[in-house]
Amino acid sequence: MHTTTDQRVRGMASLVGYTLLGGVLTSAALMSTGLVWNWASSGRVQGTPPAAGTDLAQIFATFLRQLASGTLQPRPLIYLGLAVLLLTPYLRVAASALYFAVVERNLKYTVFTGFVLAVLTGSLFLR
Amino acid sequence: MGGGIVLIPALTLLGMDIKQAIAITMVAVIATSSGAASAYVRDRITNLKVGMFLEMFAIVGALAGATITLSAPRRPLFILFGLVLFISWASLFARQGEHWRQAAQPDRVSRWLELHGSYEDRASGEIVRYHATRAYLGGPLMFGVGLVAGLLGIGAGSLKVVILDLVMGLPPKVSTTTSNLIIGVTALAGTSVYLAAGAIDPILAAPVILGVLAGAFVGTRVLVRLTNQTVRRFFLVVLAILGIEMIVRGLRGG
Repeated sequence: MHTTTDQRVRGMASLVGYTLLGGVLTSAALMSTGLVWNWASSGRVQGTPPAAGTDLAQIFATFLRQLASGTLQPRPLIYLGLAVLLLTPYLRVAASALYFAVVERNLKYTVFTGFVLAVLTGSLFLR
Repeated sequence: MGGGIVLIPALTLLGMDIKQAIAITMVAVIATSSGAASAYVRDRITNLKVGMFLEMFAIVGALAGATITLSAPRRPLFILFGLVLFISWASLFARQGEHWRQAAQPDRVSRWLELHGSYEDRASGEIVRYHATRAYLGGPLMFGVGLVAGLLGIGAGSLKVVILDLVMGLPPKVSTTTSNLIIGVTALAGTSVYLAAGAIDPILAAPVILGVLAGAFVGTRVLVRLTNQTVRRFFLVVLAILGIEMIVRGLRGG
């Protein structure tokens, strides 16, 4: 029984490790593609700064809308890279919550991690 | 030693507004800390419980700090930044040797929080067992460090390590990896405030993030060839110069 828990912990650690690495690399790939595309289409490296703030829901909605209608622009692609980057540590906290709740069955730390997750969720959808 | 504390002065020297530099650097900090964490978690030195307990305080601090920066005047930001550079300088200077001795018995709060653990030391092959103390001080102090991190857009890794090392008595390896875990989440909280306020222009942020990632990749390869002493001396000089520079600019008015 002890070995299986230990194996699950080890498996979980490498899963989290690869998720973090994958998140950073995906985000870097999306941003580089968006930047090169932006430079190729406008001939300028810089763009116009956004007039107002945005949140994750809006980023995904704009990207999917443009993708569906076939009018994808470089800027939403860069925004998407940013969103993937933001979700990387967020997923890690979510994985920790799952670990404390399911593997360790530790109520105290499930509550602590739940608090961190709730605050982060709220802040990601801040407007 | 993180990138943020060097990156922000560099961006402002290139003519970027300090608030924009702060917001963009906060995003870059997520990238570097997640990249580093992907290697650390598999080593299993990070103490998840210590990290989670302290994150509760750090993220609330970061949210408050970033909110203050949005409406704060620029001059105090320069001066505060200069001061944090000097604290990092002092912490680097003081951390000469990595001698660690287990603190006395853990107090009741730390015991209730189950803040103990063990890891295998690669160099000696021994299993190092440790416990944390003074969690009742570490938590509130971490709120303060989160506040500074959110205010200045940095990971504030050196300040976090001071709390984990000196206040809570954790071994240096555990402090370094656990502080990295807290940095990623703190930076995420701060970034979401800046993003919501429209302070992050992705077309400006993306090249900075890509540059920092490339720098971190090359940096770790160069670092392994240099001795610890050389790296330490280099950072001591850089931090001192940047600290003076930022304070002078704060006093002059940006």
